[in-house]
Amino acid sequence: MHHVLMDQWSQGASPLHKRDPRAKILALAAFLIVLATTAPNAFLTLVIDAVVLVAGILIAGLPLASLLLRAMAVLPFSLTFGLISWLAGDQLRALGLVEKSYLSTVAVLLVVGTTPLPLLLSGLEALGTPRLLVLVAQFLYRYLFVVSEQAQHIRLAAACRQGIERRRRSGFRAAAGALAVLFARSYYRAEGIHRAMTARAFSGKFALLRRLQFGWADGMFTLAIAAFLILVRIQ
Amino acid sequence: MTPLIEVRDLHFQYEDGTKALDGVNFTLNAGETVAVFGANGSGKTTFVLHLNGILGGQGSVTVCGIPVNKETLARVRSKVGVVFQDSDEQLFMPTVLEDVAFGPLNLGLSPEQAIAKAKTALQQAGMEHALGKAPYHLSAGEKRRVALAGVLAMQPEILVLDEPTTFLDPPAQRNLLHLLAGLPQGKLIVTHHTRFAASLATRAVFFEKGKLVADGPVAEIVQRFDWIYPALDAADLRYSAQRRF
Repeated sequence: MHHVLMDQWSQGASPLHKRDPRAKILALAAFLIVLATTAPNAFLTLVIDAVVLVAGILIAGLPLASLLLRAMAVLPFSLTFGLISWLAGDQLRALGLVEKSYLSTVAVLLVVGTTPLPLLLSGLEALGTPRLLVLVAQFLYRYLFVVSEQAQHIRLAAACRQGIERRRRSGFRAAAGALAVLFARSYYRAEGIHRAMTARAFSGKFALLRRLQFGWADGMFTLAIAAFLILVRIQ
Repeated sequence: MTPLIEVRDLHFQYEDGTKALDGVNFTLNAGETVAVFGANGSGKTTFVLHLNGILGGQGSVTVCGIPVNKETLARVRSKVGVVFQDSDEQLFMPTVLEDVAFGPLNLGLSPEQAIAKAKTALQQAGMEHALGKAPYHLSAGEKRRVALAGVLAMQPEILVLDEPTTFLDPPAQRNLLHLLAGLPQGKLIVTHHTRFAASLATRAVFFEKGKLVADGPVAEIVQRFDWIYPALDAADLRYSAQRRF
């Protein structure tokens, strides 16, 4: 499962993993702002941005090919809008959409892949993200496991009863029914999880084993990344 | 001596109108282990969810002398540890250590204190070797032990276990039995496994349609309600098959 893999990646011990989540979030924000303001035909800037990301992936010890492949999940969306822009005669905009969405996704995956989610969300909260939003994100992430697990169970049960002959129409009907059941079952499962959390005195705030510590190395990291990206951008 | 749990005239009805508890009275004293029997849907789980205030019905529930209400929830939840039927619902943090430390951190302990409590509880549950592992990589028996450690780390005075033998193979059930037998807390065990219950419990109660209809020695309750796996012979099975078709 995608999110299980990201969880495993985030447990590493590289210099990037060790940075305070706030430092990584701020560096990501700088990267995204620089990228958003870069012209789609500023190829040298975009190549340097990509090199920064690849260097980050290698320093973090994350599997380069796997991460780049996963970032392609955004392409169906950006290619669709890119195609519309292309057909409307705006080729530059189309190119920019695809380039920037892909590089942004790689950057986000790099940060998520080097920061355990509870720490990442605490970092976001410490930077002023509303608590409710952080809590929703935390539950959303937790329940992804629930929904995917339930979906796998339903798929397996359906496959066991599919028989030899496969009919497209009945297959669609079964998939639609399974989807409805998936929602209902996930809902009840999620209720159970919340109940178990409440039973262990959960009161709406995820406490962390590790305290957030923004040291000078974190400050230098953020400043260096932001300064380098801005320098490349304005050159 | 104050009972660990005292429930008086407890009534509860779900939003869809299902009456789940109908005037339940129950007492758990220190050092006791009580098995809770009853058919599916008889109100057992609804009853245990009242013991740490997850559900709130009409009547009174007192835990270690503390009445269960909104103001006392934090204190009550530090006294009653509930181990749920499905361990996967309980384990959700990225590592075993973080999951077991979840409860102590919620009780306001510092990270260092929470880690110490978590390590002790994992040792108690025989899972200290797994503290860096991801919970979803564990076997069903290991998950149950980690879920139990997560509750033990909060140092409760009462342990409530909902169907603790579900998903466990016989060796894992045996291990769990030994582990529970060595724990000093008062215990409430909701189960259909009468042999497991008989090995641990000092007495049993029986639920029927939301009412607690019997309270006594395990063997007596099992016999009275014929609450045991049937040992059918070939003639019985043939008779059942004829009746059905």
